[in-house]
Amino acid sequence: MKVLKLVPERCTGCLRCEIACSYMQTATYQPAKSVIRVSPFEGHTSYAPYTCTQCAEGWCMTACPVGAITINAAGAKDVLDDTCVGCKLCTIACPYGTMFYDTSTRKAFKCNLCGGDPACAHACPTAAIEYVEAPASDWLGDFAAERVSHLLVAAGAR
Amino acid sequence: MPARHLIIGGGTAGMNAMRTIREEEREPSEITLVSAERPYSRMVLPYYLDRSIAESHVFTATAAQLAKWKVKTLVGRRAAALDVKAGVCTLDDGARVEYDDCLIATGSSAVRAPVPGADGPGVHSFWTLDEARSVIDGIRPGCQVVMVGAGFISFTILNSILSLGARLTIVEVAPRILPRMVDAAGAEVVEGWLKAHGVTLRTNVKLTKIEDARGRKRLKFSAGPDLACDVVIMATGIKTNLDWLEGSGVEINRGVVVDDRLRTNVPDVYAAGDVAEGRDLVSGQAAVHAIEPTAQEHGRVAGANMAGKDVRYRGSLIVNIVEVCHLDAASFGAWDDAKAEAVTGLKKDRNAYRKLLFTGDRLTGAIIIGRSNDIWTTNDVGMLKGLVQTGVSLARFKDLLRRNPFDVKTAFIAAKTTGALLPATVLGRPSMAPGDSPVAV
Repeated sequence: MKVLKLVPERCTGCLRCEIACSYMQTATYQPAKSVIRVSPFEGHTSYAPYTCTQCAEGWCMTACPVGAITINAAGAKDVLDDTCVGCKLCTIACPYGTMFYDTSTRKAFKCNLCGGDPACAHACPTAAIEYVEAPASDWLGDFAAERVSHLLVAAGAR
Repeated sequence: MPARHLIIGGGTAGMNAMRTIREEEREPSEITLVSAERPYSRMVLPYYLDRSIAESHVFTATAAQLAKWKVKTLVGRRAAALDVKAGVCTLDDGARVEYDDCLIATGSSAVRAPVPGADGPGVHSFWTLDEARSVIDGIRPGCQVVMVGAGFISFTILNSILSLGARLTIVEVAPRILPRMVDAAGAEVVEGWLKAHGVTLRTNVKLTKIEDARGRKRLKFSAGPDLACDVVIMATGIKTNLDWLEGSGVEINRGVVVDDRLRTNVPDVYAAGDVAEGRDLVSGQAAVHAIEPTAQEHGRVAGANMAGKDVRYRGSLIVNIVEVCHLDAASFGAWDDAKAEAVTGLKKDRNAYRKLLFTGDRLTGAIIIGRSNDIWTTNDVGMLKGLVQTGVSLARFKDLLRRNPFDVKTAFIAAKTTGALLPATVLGRPSMAPGDSPVAV
């Protein structure tokens, strides 16, 4: 299956992915509605995008009491708006923190890989987000551990 | 002869078990479902109450679907006795159902405060679909509703009652709201928020009587003024539906005692969901977790084992989330563990509260309260669940959470929680989508 491969070392924090994502998902330029989120590391000297891994368990999907989360043609877990009642069980079930909830529509939403043509990967000018055949992976762990360690050392922590 | 599975209870645990049996079995088996009600999702009832969905939306399977899945349904019947030696379940109408293995998934029922008038007209529980229907019939715009009990069940229907235009008072015997879901500091944040949104709260009051008063209801307390209202909703707890198992030989403690394959002490008898007392993931101790995610996981693991797989269950994580007037409150794991190292953070102006509980360098419990439209609240809810669920070693990154319990994501990623989560599946394989599964929901 093709997944979003994240290469944090290439991320400049430009947030184009968030803008593209929100436009594709909601037809508005609202990073608040983006389901890929760029976080700063090491005091804003580096950045990394973070989004749903489309994990094998699909905690959101198995938790949904009304079967409103399914698997789309791209293999992504996808919320069916008409079926979702907004009970938030998926938001507490997803252990990655990659479910979202829209207070205006009272629905859950999440990365659905744009159905197989993810806008974030298109928009990224530095190929920090690539849409490639790969196993689901922890793309950010090593990067973050190293960057955050610098902060801890600077603060005199153990 | 095909195996004969008997599923007793058509709630979340029973439905998930049937679905998993059909997913996992190598040869077609016979499934019989005994269910007092048509299968529906209790989680969805608050959205039926506020009319945002039609009643048909609450059902998890129609009769036609159950027929398509080759489930023989005995709906409207209750199990009355279990003869584990003969492998026979007797129903309330005297019918006998033979089985090769069976699942006890009879759930729980609402209990009312034992006061005079608790069973009178205009006094409701909100647990079953029938009870939801009568609450819907009772509430009119502008009417006064009193909810007895300020726990999870009350809070799941609070938004619905307000959106129907009713005025709401909540009374609670404990000194604070949500006593089994958040700590005192968290409760204070939620109480302030509810008062600001027009909900009247009276804590530390003991209901003694409910009287009829010229077509309305009057509630009397051991101290303080009476309360007049049109509708009373009793959200004073639930009890497991176990009475019918008396004398069956199935071991019962607080619930039906099950092992890590959801088996009871009796061969070929399984239990799942609200009735089952299984392993708590965090403490490793036996516990009854009457919550939807546990019923789902129990049902799936029991179903896989009934279908001939050997699936071990790691244990269930206690998780709760409610949203009241766009304020989220959630807690995970051992959030009230007095022995754990606790770090708290409060941002009064944002109505945001965090409590993180550590055992060594692992997060073993957490409370999170924050506004739903604060972008990070929902994501943090999930990441805290991930940290508690994996019990990942936070090592030096624990200091990040200690310094700022509002920045969960940095520590979550740096501790490589994603890597710990990715291989983990409940059934040892990728989950099937509802539509791809032989049995939906």
